[in-house]
Amino acid sequence: MKVKGFLKDVGGASRVTKARLAAFENASAAPVRLDPIGAVAREWHPGKLDLVVTDVRPASRTTTTVRFERPDGGKLPPFYAGQFMVVDFPIGESLLSRPYSISSAPYQARLAEHAFVEITVRRSKGDGLICDYINDAVKVGDTFRGMIGCGQFYYEPLRDAKHVVALAGGVGITPFASMAREIANGTLDFDLTILYGSVSSDDITLRNELEQLHSDRLHIVHVLSGDEPDWPGERGFLTAELIKKYSAPDTTYFICGPQVMYQFLREELKKLDIPQRRVRFEVFGQAKDITAFEGFPQENRDKTFQLTVMRGLHKDVIPAMATESLVVALERAGIRIETGCRSGECGFCRTKVLAGNVYICPENDGRRAADRDFGYVHACAAYPQSDVTIKIPIE
Amino acid sequence: MDFYKDHYDVIVIGGALAGLSAALMLADKGKDVLVLERHNLPGGIATSFVRGGIEIEAALHEMMSIGDKDNRLKVGKFFDDMGVDIDWLKVPECYHAALPGLEVTLHPGLETFAHEVDAVVPGTYDKVLRLLNLCNTVFDSVNELSIHPMSKPMMLLKHEAFVKTAGYSTQEVLDTFDLPQKALDLLAPYWIYVGTGFRELPFTIYSVLMADYVGYGSFIPRKFSHEMSLKMAERAEAMGVQIEYRQHVDKILVRDGKAYGVRTARGDEIHADYVICSAYPNKVYTDMIEPADAVPAGAIKMVNGRRLSLTAFSVILILDKTAEELGIRDYSVFHGTTMDTDACYDELKGLGPYHYITCICHNLANPDATPEGTCSYSITTLPRPDGWKTVSADDYDRVKHDVAKQLIDTMSEYLGVDLLEHVLEIVIETPMTIAHYTGMWNGCIYGYAHTMEDHIIARLQTAEAEHFIDHLEFSGAHQISGDGMGPAVTNGRKAAKNVLDTMAKEAN
Repeated sequence: MKVKGFLKDVGGASRVTKARLAAFENASAAPVRLDPIGAVAREWHPGKLDLVVTDVRPASRTTTTVRFERPDGGKLPPFYAGQFMVVDFPIGESLLSRPYSISSAPYQARLAEHAFVEITVRRSKGDGLICDYINDAVKVGDTFRGMIGCGQFYYEPLRDAKHVVALAGGVGITPFASMAREIANGTLDFDLTILYGSVSSDDITLRNELEQLHSDRLHIVHVLSGDEPDWPGERGFLTAELIKKYSAPDTTYFICGPQVMYQFLREELKKLDIPQRRVRFEVFGQAKDITAFEGFPQENRDKTFQLTVMRGLHKDVIPAMATESLVVALERAGIRIETGCRSGECGFCRTKVLAGNVYICPENDGRRAADRDFGYVHACAAYPQSDVTIKIPIE
Repeated sequence: MDFYKDHYDVIVIGGALAGLSAALMLADKGKDVLVLERHNLPGGIATSFVRGGIEIEAALHEMMSIGDKDNRLKVGKFFDDMGVDIDWLKVPECYHAALPGLEVTLHPGLETFAHEVDAVVPGTYDKVLRLLNLCNTVFDSVNELSIHPMSKPMMLLKHEAFVKTAGYSTQEVLDTFDLPQKALDLLAPYWIYVGTGFRELPFTIYSVLMADYVGYGSFIPRKFSHEMSLKMAERAEAMGVQIEYRQHVDKILVRDGKAYGVRTARGDEIHADYVICSAYPNKVYTDMIEPADAVPAGAIKMVNGRRLSLTAFSVILILDKTAEELGIRDYSVFHGTTMDTDACYDELKGLGPYHYITCICHNLANPDATPEGTCSYSITTLPRPDGWKTVSADDYDRVKHDVAKQLIDTMSEYLGVDLLEHVLEIVIETPMTIAHYTGMWNGCIYGYAHTMEDHIIARLQTAEAEHFIDHLEFSGAHQISGDGMGPAVTNGRKAAKNVLDTMAKEAN
């Protein structure tokens, strides 16, 4: 319609109003609840799910694999190989959450029957309450709450090279086990060489399961640091020289292992002059000893402070040690706080500090700039250094 | 436990820009307000996140209605009045239009803009300026009339241009200017910020869009839109508003046709005199009202009679070179193969390839947006929900990567640089991402389409008749002012004003 004379028209407002009323008059009066886009979002991210343990088996001399399914065996949420899940453990009065890399493959979570996810956990040497609990006490039929598919440690085809060298230490093999299984299934498209550092040949986590997956696309190179004269394979640590030997001209490096390995590998990778975009570290994990970090107020190391916790208008006061994160203090006191990575990155435990001082682990400060300005912390990476008042969400 | 008071004056569902604006305005008038937000931080999509140690803007391209410090527009003034002190950075240009045979950067200021169009399409200065001035006149009227309604004869006397263009689409009015196609092409790129092709888009909306953005420029907060959202939330709390995060509202409680509270997913029943709701009316009227039979048929007919507008798909790249090294010269680029907005709008129904693309390089308005030697580059299309509604959970990742790759390839070709060789971090946001974090109905961020059947003037005139449940107000992109972060603030204020007006009326 060509309109030349609109400047004489004063009836427009009435006309558009009539058009509106007519459109509504002609519309259906039947409620339409379809939100398929929201439904896909909920299928990927349903939050915490009820999970039942359907298998517990050794993955090596010191590690255990635990399989979880839905109570009805139905499909679990999709996730990316390399991601972790968060499992809630009710222990005594406390409810503790822990992140574990998923060692099974994404396709296994989408099987039509008995879809499952697995985690593989090492018995600790005395510092991991939950690790021991999983190795000693968890049995088939136990039920837990868990959230599947967290974290940023996964292969991204629009960013990463077609050849990946995984640098794994100890139980840090788990995300790569997931990738290896997905590659073997034909549903993940890159070449993977895993350089896998272990101490001794009789304690290599998931060894048999992984070796069955060997193919043109998937190589597993065991590297032993212990003294074993008969070992035919690679020995020592994951050095620059060794890494170079197994690299293609364009390689992305994924690194997952204990914190000491990260320090070592940062130096080794520097020698190889690899572009920053080709190196992906899994998150650091909760600091083993926060007093070892630069700037930690050593005079407080043995102190316990009062932590006042606001949830809505409700107030609790609990003790909190200077050397333990706010999250640990809350969980011990039985106060629920949502956590994800426990490495300061994901922000699930974002918390407002209303009063008092906290020390932030410098390796684990993943906060937004404006959050820093207004005293928000990620409670898994924040350590009280005075009496502190915080506000956390009501769970 | 005693998490909540026994009673509030107002419960606001949703702590994004609209909900927080409503809360600020109500607290400013001494009302006792509770805000319940499902996520663990404020802002909805007006937020940021950190990847690989780098903070990344989630959604904001350009904030309208702010204005320079000495010449504030309504949203900028509202923030100032409320004591929300945001470190605004002015975006240097309106946009760079990258269209077939046209590579033009246009800057704010009606005359500047008209001169720059004239430099490319000589002889168009007078007509373009006349068009922009007409837009500006209509814009001024909209702003005044939204605060001071008046009688029809008065309106005709004082707001003639507004009245006389009200019944026409953008295309119909543009046609009367008889401009060459190239000039029209340069006047069209902003269409995507209101989300309807010109055949359907009310000229009133086009006027507001052009007068605001071209006349006054646009702004971004220095510390990303999270700075804006967080400062609003902090200010609201300082004014006595209670904000609780991670609280998902399941039900709005209604008795005798009047809302009196909410029930959250964790089972808290909380009472208030009024409820302001940011969830879509589609969701509220079909799923949230308790009891369900408190929803009149007219409410269902209303939501069924409206068309959902746009959702969003963005690929955000952190690149390992500077903007200069990559040949990125403009903060904002609109890239397309045609400026036929109706054809562009039609294409958005599908799952790609998408040809009308918006690219933002934050570093060009905020040099410190990313670490030295890097830059951020977001590539956005704003699809209609139709195509995305057909994607299953199992297909989702493939579709997401296919679309992301197409967008990156298109811009790589344009820039003459393979962007994929420079990716430090990549984040792909989809309609599902939006639905996940905000719960918005079908991931729609634009509310209902601006059309001649869903005209802003008609929305104003029928607002009272479309008020189906007493003491329940709506705020968000689905309300009168429509989409955008600036209009979100206006929508929130409108909801608060309705509450305050009703309070005053019922007190008498």
